[in-house]
Amino acid sequence: MSPVEDDPAGARRTQRLWSQGWSRFRKNRFGMAGAGIILVLYLAAALAPMLTPYDPIAQGDVPRMRYVAPCMEHPLGTDKFGRDVLSRVIYGSRISLMIGILAVTIAILLGALVGAAAGYFGGATDAILMRIVDALLAVPRIFLLITCVALFSGSVWLIIVLLGATGWMTTARLVRAQVLSLRNLDYVKAAEALGAGGRSIIWRHVIPNTATVIIVAATLRIGGIILTEASLSFLGLGVPPPTPSWGQMVFEGREALLSAWWLSTFPGIAIAVTVIGFNLLGDALKDAFDPRQFV
Amino acid sequence: MNILEAQGIRKYYRSSAGLFFVTSPVVRAVDGVDLTLEKGKTVGLVGESGCGKSTLARVLIRLEEPTEGSIRLGGADFLALRGGELRKARRRIQMVFQDPYSSLNPRLSIGSTIAEGIRIHKLARGAEVKERVSRLLEKVGLPSSASAKYPHEFSGGQRQRIGIARALAVEPEVLIADEPVSALDVSIRAQIINLLEDLQTEMGLTYLFIAHDLGIVEHVSDVVVVMYCGKVVEQAPTGDIFREPLHPYTAGLIASVPVADPALARARAAIPGDVPSPVNLPSGCAFNPRCPRVMDICRIERPDLIQLGAGRLVRCWIHQKKA
Repeated sequence: MSPVEDDPAGARRTQRLWSQGWSRFRKNRFGMAGAGIILVLYLAAALAPMLTPYDPIAQGDVPRMRYVAPCMEHPLGTDKFGRDVLSRVIYGSRISLMIGILAVTIAILLGALVGAAAGYFGGATDAILMRIVDALLAVPRIFLLITCVALFSGSVWLIIVLLGATGWMTTARLVRAQVLSLRNLDYVKAAEALGAGGRSIIWRHVIPNTATVIIVAATLRIGGIILTEASLSFLGLGVPPPTPSWGQMVFEGREALLSAWWLSTFPGIAIAVTVIGFNLLGDALKDAFDPRQFV
Repeated sequence: MNILEAQGIRKYYRSSAGLFFVTSPVVRAVDGVDLTLEKGKTVGLVGESGCGKSTLARVLIRLEEPTEGSIRLGGADFLALRGGELRKARRRIQMVFQDPYSSLNPRLSIGSTIAEGIRIHKLARGAEVKERVSRLLEKVGLPSSASAKYPHEFSGGQRQRIGIARALAVEPEVLIADEPVSALDVSIRAQIINLLEDLQTEMGLTYLFIAHDLGIVEHVSDVVVVMYCGKVVEQAPTGDIFREPLHPYTAGLIASVPVADPALARARAAIPGDVPSPVNLPSGCAFNPRCPRVMDICRIERPDLIQLGAGRLVRCWIHQKKA
């Protein structure tokens, strides 16, 4: 018997998922623009010490240097302590981007696990987990965050954990739906027949095959989480000063908004551009990896 | 020696009960089936789609729990096993699936797919696992280099070989093949069938071979079981059933097998109509609306499965009267 047979019609018809998705993604100009924005932002955050002309925290000759309008030496002006706004915006990207990535990682991991468990085990497990999700979605998130930050002293890590722990519910729903459709596939049944346990089936067979859905959800969530962090900082509950963060800069600028418009405007623009970048990327990924697009 | 004995297997599904106590119809996917597998032999299970063959297979390997019935695997009560004991016993009965595309995890290499069972049952460790995987690949006619590749790099027939290797990795005694070739090109089918037959001789495997193509069943089986609407309608040694089918449904299935030579073509008597809806079966014999030899009693009363001669069972009023 020949070891290799030809089956050109059926061969290779499936799972060119990644390469097909990527080639479709590359054709999406908005998506590429989003990816470009994010790349530039991360480079700026990583290379901040080399890019920034001034120290973002040190206060110089305050009475002389405060509220300097944008000029050659200070392209985005200075704040009330005479600190260079451009340097602070660049350093502020570190906080926003780090919080965005880490909080989303926590949210997505939690959401994927809960969603996979609910979808795979079904029955009572599913009912209980999904009712918890419903209940948490019904609580206004900002109240929950404010209460927690007020109870425990604020730090970057607390904020990351809180944002992650309150942002996983929609992902859980998404992953659950995906798992429900995977659960009846033969390879999951084969693993069950071999005697594989529920946990190993979820880790080896279910989660890896929901990866594209999870990546898309994660990208779209980052924008939202960066915005939430900015609102917390704006309310004075975010990252404690003097560490620069965009939300906190917008907050500090509001008292001099009419006389020194540049204080709030530039960090505000930075927030908007970042969120738009992530959303463009997420939308493009969603279109590129939409299962209906595959032939 | 009988390695598997299933008795009175019933599997009913209730389409999800409504919120407001609406009585939902019950689907009797498998309705009282007895099945015995003799060691080293092949039982062919045939019937049209929707007759309950696949559900029965899933119940037999405990992917689904039967509503009623008992299964003895190697003399022990298979349905009583739980947890670790069930896991251990699962080694003894494995399955080859119909669709070679959905039966392999696209994100696992062939090596990891085949090694999964070896790891679960701790049949080998370290380098020995790799060695076993290579031997299994060789056994099913694939090069051991296949181990590092992924499912999309293989054709349907090759994937089916991988699925067979995965099942054999845990050294089962019983192998259920659920339409293992119906998704393959006709030119590939014979290769897979021959492979399964060679493996049976080599390893002393017991097969439950599910198909809707009687030509293949005639070739591989020792005993043929015909199902219709969740019930066994006829069972007989392969030679007998093809020489003289007792049930009009079996006769219809055999008549619909395509014959290569038109001069030899058997009289065409394809079965008219469709399989009835499982929630709303006709009264009496479920086959009566399609039966060419229907009688009055067939529409009123259900026939029993009766024995006619050695190893021959049939569920039909034509024969029950005589008996």
